[in-house]
Amino acid sequence: MRDLSTVTLGSNTDPYNKAAERGWDITDASQLNSPLELEADVVIVGTGAGGGTAAETLSKAGLRVVILEAGPLKTSSQFDMQERAAYRDLYQEGTGRGTKDGGMVILQGRSVGGSTTVNWTTSFRTPPETLKFWAEEMGVSGCSVEEMAPYFAHMEERLSIDAWPQPPNANNAMLQRASEKLGYSWDTIHRNVRGCLNLGYCGLGCPVDAKQSMLVTTIPGALDLEAKLIHRARVVRVLRDGDVVKGVEAEALTPDVRGTTGQKITVRAVRTVLAGGAINTPAILLRSDVPDPHRRVGKRTFLHPTTLTMGIYEESIDPFYGAPQSIYSDHFQWQNVSSGPVGFKLEVPPLQPAFAAGFYSVAGEELTNSMNQLDHTQCMIALMRDGFHEQSQGGAVEINDKGQPVLDYPINGYLLEGVRRAWNVMLEMQFATGAKSARPAHKQATHYRSWKEAKSAVAELEVAPHKATIGSAHVMGGCPMGDDPERSVADAAGKFHQLENLYIMDGSLFPTSVGANPQLSIYGLVYKLSSNLAAQFRA
Amino acid sequence: MQTDRRGFLKITFAGAAALSTMSAGATLSGCASSTPASGMKLLRAEDLELLRALTPAVMKGKIAPGDSAAIEQTLRSFDTLLVDLSEPVVAGVQQAFDVLNFAPTRGLTTGQWSAWPKASLSDAESALGRLRDSGIGLLNAIYAAVIRLIASSYYLVPENAVTTGYPGPPKKVAGAAPSVAPAGKVTP
Repeated sequence: MRDLSTVTLGSNTDPYNKAAERGWDITDASQLNSPLELEADVVIVGTGAGGGTAAETLSKAGLRVVILEAGPLKTSSQFDMQERAAYRDLYQEGTGRGTKDGGMVILQGRSVGGSTTVNWTTSFRTPPETLKFWAEEMGVSGCSVEEMAPYFAHMEERLSIDAWPQPPNANNAMLQRASEKLGYSWDTIHRNVRGCLNLGYCGLGCPVDAKQSMLVTTIPGALDLEAKLIHRARVVRVLRDGDVVKGVEAEALTPDVRGTTGQKITVRAVRTVLAGGAINTPAILLRSDVPDPHRRVGKRTFLHPTTLTMGIYEESIDPFYGAPQSIYSDHFQWQNVSSGPVGFKLEVPPLQPAFAAGFYSVAGEELTNSMNQLDHTQCMIALMRDGFHEQSQGGAVEINDKGQPVLDYPINGYLLEGVRRAWNVMLEMQFATGAKSARPAHKQATHYRSWKEAKSAVAELEVAPHKATIGSAHVMGGCPMGDDPERSVADAAGKFHQLENLYIMDGSLFPTSVGANPQLSIYGLVYKLSSNLAAQFRA
Repeated sequence: MQTDRRGFLKITFAGAAALSTMSAGATLSGCASSTPASGMKLLRAEDLELLRALTPAVMKGKIAPGDSAAIEQTLRSFDTLLVDLSEPVVAGVQQAFDVLNFAPTRGLTTGQWSAWPKASLSDAESALGRLRDSGIGLLNAIYAAVIRLIASSYYLVPENAVTTGYPGPPKKVAGAAPSVAPAGKVTP
């Protein structure tokens, strides 16, 4: 095995080491002793794929930009590849975020860079089938494959997105081998990396800044152009004067971002851009009590509900090391677009131990025997493409009595049948490539010894929420774009239908799930929307 | 309400709602404390009793029932993990613990009628099995949360993480150049 624990890494790649030299204006709101009031051309809420892209585009247009981020500024000098610190510092609710009934765990980033700081670098353009569905069924104009192509091309260039040129790690190679064996299509994943060391710690914050996340690309780009960044500042509501939005009001968070300090931050701006992600953006709108005559805000929120199977092999897999995702299969993704059983994308996840133990979701000897063979474990995941079928209407973001967002997403029979179907596909793939044993993510399952045994056992399992282990790392929708205000929250320019000067620029605009890991879909769309917004200022 | 297994499995979601109401009653009536145990930031004294019983069952093969050093290390890790989660998540975990701690709901949901310190390893395994196999979604959810948190607490300790065949992560050394070369396209 390639033992990476003997590798040493420095911290000299951290662009924030030179923040003072480069004249960057960064405020840690937790340290404020008095209220902060600012004025800007544009205030941007969030620093993830949407906020980061918008910040650089609008700063380049010469606009005065203020960027607010609820999470902390954590940079590669602090990324030590230990799971505990990463989950605590870089994820929403310390990875504890889940759906209302606890049926799905939601992994979402929360630090400067948003989810791009912790994602696994997988980059797909929005699939043509998805763009066509949005145009034909969801009333989205201006987002055809041809119209989007230049925006994707720009962001691919900006973020060094290209096909991964190295051999896949064994975890990914098994997905390729199984696809070849069973005649399924597969391909190499494109990744946003530059000088990648192939370590495998993308999910814990890239220790060498090879990942071209917003943290090291567009946010520094905007800061170089005199944008102001205020982190540990949680936006409570938008400021309004009648039908015109005038900026936002935020509260300063404590250093651990779990509480508030009592200080207020007010940013008055000509335009307000919400990019807090598909849970926090609808939550800001709901807390602001914006007009919502057709009750669309927060509805149709999608997750790519994801389930998994674990296979144990004779050979070493070392699923904790190496580029986490480099191979995928869409063989089962587009067999139907909006009819029939739910489509799913096949990928693999990285398995550092605490994450793997959570993924296993079993107890006792089954857990210990499995974990003792982690270095021989291969994991397949199926990401279900929700939001296309009439029986897949997604979830709804609500706010509780404290104003905190809650996502109510009951898992219905349609998705549960998809879970069972995906388990069968993935288990067969694992046995076809020589797995000694494999198990689906069901609390009452065990490691089965053959495909035949697994198949008959899966047929007998009660596939119910909580018994099946289902999670999500892709939150999308809730503020869908579209031309018809009765069916959408924002127009094709990202402008909120019901108020002036308020824009949404993040994954909450998607009218369905994307059907692919969403980061590049967000980059491309927001580059288009923010370029148009910049042009409005010039005009 | 019947307390035999067959009758128990017939409790519907309405029953599940009643269980959470009963445990909320426990909190309101003062049967459940809200103050952390000594040396802990969030775990309460009764949570520690519960977790001392369940941890060797969840971590069977890693932690023996009498291995109090390993159990206490996992509980401290659990307490830190709770601090690192969010207030709504912690509230949910404490409600789940209330169901498992409050004597009537503990007995009904897990079959553990005596207090947790009296539970043997097989009692704890049977309790977990009842939660896992129940027809009530709320109890399945409690099971999922409890085992996930205990297992994560154990494997979040670096010395436990390397008992899986995982050698551990690279080391960060301030100022040092990486000891490995980049893979793939390096654009200047």
